[in-house]
Amino acid sequence: MPGISRKIIGCTAAAGALLLTLTGCAGTGPAAANVDLGSGPARAGKVKKGALDGVTLSFASYGGIYQDGQETAAVKPFAAESGAKVLSDGPTDYTKVKAQVDAKNVTWDVVDTDTLWAERQCGKLLMPLDSKIVDASKLPKGMESKCSVPAMSYGVVLMYDKKKFGNNPPKGWADFLDTAKYPGKRAIPGIASDASPGALEAALLADGVAPGQLYPLDVDRALKKLTSVRSSLVFWDTGARSQQLLESGEVSMAMVWSGRAYSAVKNGAHFAPQWNQFLPVSDSLAVPVGAKNPKASMALINYYLGATEQAKLTELTSYSPINTDAKPKLDKLASQYLTTTPERQAQALKVDMSWWAKNQEQIIQKWSDWLAR
Amino acid sequence: MAALIEIASPAAASRPRKGAGGRWGWLLLPAVVLLAVLFLVPLGLMAWRSVTEPAPGAGNYSWFFTSDVALATLVRTLAVGAVVTLVTLLLSYPYAYLMTVAGVRARIWLTLLVLLPFWTSLMVRTFAWVVLLQDNGVVNQLLGTVGLGPLQLIRTPTGVVIGMSQVLMPFMVLPLYAVMSGIDRRLLDAAQGMGARPAVAFWRVFVPLSLPGVGAGALTVFITSLGFYVTPALLGSPDQALISQQIFTQVNGLLAWGRGGAMGVVLLAVTLVLLGLVGVVLRITRTRGGAR
Repeated sequence: MPGISRKIIGCTAAAGALLLTLTGCAGTGPAAANVDLGSGPARAGKVKKGALDGVTLSFASYGGIYQDGQETAAVKPFAAESGAKVLSDGPTDYTKVKAQVDAKNVTWDVVDTDTLWAERQCGKLLMPLDSKIVDASKLPKGMESKCSVPAMSYGVVLMYDKKKFGNNPPKGWADFLDTAKYPGKRAIPGIASDASPGALEAALLADGVAPGQLYPLDVDRALKKLTSVRSSLVFWDTGARSQQLLESGEVSMAMVWSGRAYSAVKNGAHFAPQWNQFLPVSDSLAVPVGAKNPKASMALINYYLGATEQAKLTELTSYSPINTDAKPKLDKLASQYLTTTPERQAQALKVDMSWWAKNQEQIIQKWSDWLAR
Repeated sequence: MAALIEIASPAAASRPRKGAGGRWGWLLLPAVVLLAVLFLVPLGLMAWRSVTEPAPGAGNYSWFFTSDVALATLVRTLAVGAVVTLVTLLLSYPYAYLMTVAGVRARIWLTLLVLLPFWTSLMVRTFAWVVLLQDNGVVNQLLGTVGLGPLQLIRTPTGVVIGMSQVLMPFMVLPLYAVMSGIDRRLLDAAQGMGARPAVAFWRVFVPLSLPGVGAGALTVFITSLGFYVTPALLGSPDQALISQQIFTQVNGLLAWGRGGAMGVVLLAVTLVLLGLVGVVLRITRTRGGAR
C-alpha cells in the first residue's frame, strides 16, 4: 500500500494521522476533524442547529425531478438548519466515483447510487456508515445496510394493456412471458451495463420455478427461456424510453419501474398494473471512501431519512418513502403506486438482494453477452 | 468556409514548398502540446491499464479474443462502418457533383443544408430520428397511408445505418466537393472532343480525378463511425450493440477499466491496420496507374 505511506508523510502535522489517512486527508478544512453534531443518539431528520457552519458538501444524484425533489425535501432544509453549504452535482456516474476514490480526491460527499452497486462496493469504494450519526431505526424492515441507506423505494412492476387484456388480466410473470395466451410484444429492461432483479426472475417463474425456490438464480435457464420468446421482446434502456413504449402502445405488456408506470398512466396510457409478484427496488445514499468530511456527509444522510423529509420527497417525486412514519399527502392515482404500504409489501416477490450483490458482476457479463447476441 | 474544406480534405490541400516547414514549424507547437497532453497521455494510460488491471499480464486481451460476443461485436462494428461509408458515398457523390455545377445561390443553399447538422447537437438529431423511425412514427405513418407499412425501422441495423449516415454525410460531402471543384472541366470537353460519349468521359476522366476526395471522405467517415456510441445506442437494439457500447458496459457497468482499455486498444490497432492496408492498396494502384 504505497499510497497510504505517502499519505502519512503528508499528514504528519496532524495529530490523528491514522484517522486522517482513513478519511483521505484530502483538503481537511478546519471543520472536518472537529464537527460537533451534539450529544445523544441520532434521530432521523434532525441535525444540530448551525453544527456545520462553514462546511461545504456536495450531493450527487440522478438529476431530473428526482434530484429536484431530493433537494427541495431534504438537502436545502438540511443546509438551512445545519449551516452547511451543499452543492449539487450529477448525474451519478460510477466511473467518476471510482476515479475520485482512486485519485484520493473525492469531491462527491454523498452519492445516490443503485442499491446493489452500493452493496457490492461496501468497504471498497464506499465507507461504512456510523450508526451514532445515522439513525436507521425508522427504515422499513430488511432495508438496513452497512455502507448505505435507501434513498427511496419503488418497484419493477408488470403493466398490461387494459383494452386487450382487461377482461382476463395476467396474474404474474408466468403470464407475462406466455405469448400464446397473451399475444403481443413485451417490453423488458435491456440495459447492457446493468443487470438487476426483474427479467431473470420473471423468466424462471414462467419456466415453472416456484417463487420460493428462485435463489440461487439459474441464470442460464432464465436466459434460455428468454431466448425462446426473444422475437416478442422489446428492450428499453432508459426510464424515459419505457414510459414512451407504454404511452405509444407499441407493446401489450411491459416490465417497468413503477414511477414510470405511474407517469405513463397519468399521461393517459391505457395500461394497468399487476402488483402481484412486483419486485421492490430502491436507490441508496452512500459516502465514498476518502470523502473530505464523513461526519458531515452522514449528518446529511441522517437528515434525509426524516419522516417529514420523506413524506415531502414522495409528494414531489411519487417514489415511496423509506421512513415508516412518513405520511405523504397524495391523490388517489399516486397513492396506488406507493410500494411500501403493507398491502403492496404482501404482494412483493421476495428478492434475495445479498445473492444479487454477490453475483451481479458475473450476471452483468452474461446478460450483456446475451443481449448482444 | 474555404479553410473548413481544406481541413476536411487533406488530400486536396496543396503540398507546402520545401523549407516552409522549417521556418514555420514552431507554429505547430501549441497543437502538438495539446495533443500530447490531452490525447496521447490518456491513450497511454488506457493502454497501460489494459495490461496492469486487475493483474499484470495479457489477461484482458486473452479474454477479448476468446469471447465470441466481443469478437462478433468487433466484426459488427467494422461491418456497420463499411455499410455507412458506402451509403454516405452513394448519397454524397451526386450531391457534391451537384454543388460544383449549381449556380452561386443554389450552391450556398446546398452547402448550408449539408452544414446544418454540424450546428445541431448529435443528441437532438438522434432523437429526431427516434421520433421519425419508431414503430408508429412519422415514417411508418406515411408508409401506412400508401399501404407499405409498417416496417420495423427502429431497433434494427437499418435504423442505425440511416441515423449514422445522416450524421456523417458532411464528412463525405465536403472533401468530395473540395476535390471536384478543383477538377478542370475542360478535360471532359477534351475527352468528348476526341469522341467519348458524355457518360464515358465522366466515368473515365472525372471519376478517377475525384478519387482522392472519395478516399479522404471514406476514411474519415469509416474511422469516425467506429467510435459511434449515442446513435447506435438509441436507434439500435442491444443485440446489435457496437463495440463502443460494449466498452461502456465494461467501463461503467463493471468498472473493469482494464478490459475496457483492452477493447479500446484492439479497436485502435484494427483501425491502424486497416489504414495501413488502404495505404498499401492506394500505392499499388498509383504505381500501376503510372506504369500504364
